[in-house]
Amino acid sequence: MGPAPDASSLSRHQAESMNTHSDHTNHPSPGAPVPPRIGDQQAAWSGAASSPQVATHPAAVAPAYPAPLLSGAQLVKTYGSTYALAGVDIAVHPGESVAIMGASGSGKTTLLHTLAGIITADAGTVAFNAPHGIVRVNELGEAERSRLRRESFGFVFQQGLLIPELTAIENVALPLMLAGYHRREAEGRAQHWLAVLGLAGLEARRIGELSGGQAQRVAIARAQVTGATVIFADEPTGALDSATSVDVMTALLDSTTGQGHSLVLVTHDEQVAARCSRVVRLRDGRVVPDASPATVAPGTSQAPAPPTGPHFYGGGWDEPRGAATTPIPGGGAA
Amino acid sequence: MTGAPMTTTRPVAAAPSAVPVRRASGRAPIARLTWMLARPSAQSAATIVLPAVAFAVTTALLLIVFGGALMFWRWTTDDAGVYQLLSILALALLTVPLATLGGAAARLSARRRDDRLATLRLIGATPGVVTRITVLESTAVAVLGALAGVVLYLAVTPLVGLIPFGGAPIGAAALLLDVWIVAAVVAGVALLAAISAVVGLTAVIVSPLGVRTRQRPQRVHWLRGLIGVAVVVAAYTVLNALGVLPGLAVIVTVLTATFAVGVGILNLIGPWAISILAKVQVRSARTPAKLIAARGILESPKAAWRQVSGMAMTSFVAVVAGTGVAFADTMAAGDSTAQDLLLITDVRTGILITLVASFVMVACSVGVNQAATILDRRDLYVGLDRVGMPRQVMERARSRTTMVPLLFVVIGSAVVGVVLVLPLAGLALILAPLSMLVIAGCFAVGLLLVWAALAATRPVLTRVLGEPERA
Repeated sequence: MGPAPDASSLSRHQAESMNTHSDHTNHPSPGAPVPPRIGDQQAAWSGAASSPQVATHPAAVAPAYPAPLLSGAQLVKTYGSTYALAGVDIAVHPGESVAIMGASGSGKTTLLHTLAGIITADAGTVAFNAPHGIVRVNELGEAERSRLRRESFGFVFQQGLLIPELTAIENVALPLMLAGYHRREAEGRAQHWLAVLGLAGLEARRIGELSGGQAQRVAIARAQVTGATVIFADEPTGALDSATSVDVMTALLDSTTGQGHSLVLVTHDEQVAARCSRVVRLRDGRVVPDASPATVAPGTSQAPAPPTGPHFYGGGWDEPRGAATTPIPGGGAA
Repeated sequence: MTGAPMTTTRPVAAAPSAVPVRRASGRAPIARLTWMLARPSAQSAATIVLPAVAFAVTTALLLIVFGGALMFWRWTTDDAGVYQLLSILALALLTVPLATLGGAAARLSARRRDDRLATLRLIGATPGVVTRITVLESTAVAVLGALAGVVLYLAVTPLVGLIPFGGAPIGAAALLLDVWIVAAVVAGVALLAAISAVVGLTAVIVSPLGVRTRQRPQRVHWLRGLIGVAVVVAAYTVLNALGVLPGLAVIVTVLTATFAVGVGILNLIGPWAISILAKVQVRSARTPAKLIAARGILESPKAAWRQVSGMAMTSFVAVVAGTGVAFADTMAAGDSTAQDLLLITDVRTGILITLVASFVMVACSVGVNQAATILDRRDLYVGLDRVGMPRQVMERARSRTTMVPLLFVVIGSAVVGVVLVLPLAGLALILAPLSMLVIAGCFAVGLLLVWAALAATRPVLTRVLGEPERA
């Protein structure tokens, strides 16, 4: 049982470090409500890791994490003549959960894939505030993005991530083995995460022998095992019945925002979105400026654990916030 | 309204309008639908080309082997009987890999349409329509491939004709078959494709969503191992009692019997032995690729066995017959006729041809099976790529899933061969440098061929990962 405590201490440590800095998410933001231009952002991000975002944050006196954990600026992505993303700005802060909603074809999955470095935007910038400095995701090569996804991000999709012939514990241990961990240690940590997610005793089951909800928990464990600070979820409850869906969402939130990590989630389900700290709505590749009160109210009741509390940035850039419960339209989204 | 799904690709979206329109007149336009669905734009070219190539190779090899075998039946020399017997042996040996290859090609050509056919089902095409489209398409691909195979056969015949049998090159003319035999072979290949398409489709027809859920891994009973070992021991005892072999005719008889027993044993032990190997590897795997490969083999030891079983027979026979040749060589050193010498040389030639042909077929079916597997597991590969699994790891796992059972089977069968032959001939004979070196060389070339076939399917994976929206 050696490795298990390691794993928990790792995540605890990360949770603490996030807590330490969480205050800053509430604070220094661009003075103007207008999102910064691409050029400004690039100037900021091309700077060394030591002084991120100074250029766009005149008010910031360079605290440890002045920048969002993950942000996209003026993201544009076209497929043929269709704009999947037509200039989207989004910022994800440590410890918050952001639900991306919208009709089919609104660009929500494209946005998630762009933020996660699965695809690259045609224009705009994605910046990830990694422990060693700011990473400009959009400018990395294929192999580097693959590595970033493997080592820094976690993923929970509707399907397709778990290898059916592998057991639950092997599936969860896989990312650590890919990172070079010895198999025994990898499986030790995997076992810990499976236990955390209520799957103790099912370690040796193959994926086909698990229920849909159990399989999604395995996927959550797999996403968490490397200690990723950002988890991307694409319709994580899409294939589940409503009761199981609630359980899986609880598990997902507990293991992400509950640990001070961030969750970016694409969903069709209003009830799922309502449990996130805020909702970003997309229509035709743009952020819809006014989140309706209906989506705001439930969000407050399901605030994630300590770190930041709910914030409603309205999908725009890093807005100054006075009232946490009032959605502020993002200027760039109009 | 036809209720066509909004998100489907254009050719599929076009299909529903065609179905009801014709349905109104009573019949679905199978041929037109098939043609529409076969447009190359939407699917990876490899999925049409691979089965076609596999069918072509199957047909060409089948024709060459038939031609060669029939040639011996036209001989009227004294020892023609021995040659004829050996030609049957070679034909029998090549049947398994040939059937595997043909089946794999048919399965791929049937499977690659699964998603579209499932869509067709969803929009209301009857199972009958779906079946007919698939069968028609697979059969058309098979016929095209088989016709290309006939051309290939005619093109290669002069080269094959250079192989010496009976002391002189056999010549291209000797291998040429009657037109009706060629036609029968083409028809046979097409029939095989049609049957496989029907069988492969059953899953789609049962479930319109085409969901493949595997609950439990295949289990292979340990009793197989026990029975297999018992038979080997029994055969060893019997052969031991026989003692040293007297003459050539007896050699052939005993070797044929040994072959029959060996094939039986191998088929019995094979899947079980592969499952044991995979279990050991699952436990000892230290890298993701090794773990995934071992679990993949364990998932279906019988399928892993089927893919390489043709090679098992050939490897087994190479050892048994190779020893026979070496044995005959030493006999020939004493006193023997020129005819005996000739026969010995010819047997060796025959073994090498059979080995190479088996390897070519195994390589082809590996390529086709792998392409089918990649397409089958498209969403998994796309998902793994998204979470950052390096492409290298996927390739290594894929490669190991095939190469490990292949190596194991080739070596394992050779060992079974050695065990059975040991009582008849000393170890020195079995390891007679002349035959062994050549056979080992054949193995090396064969393994390279299979590896190359695996490499040939990489573009399919590239395509799948490059078009994740199709997942």
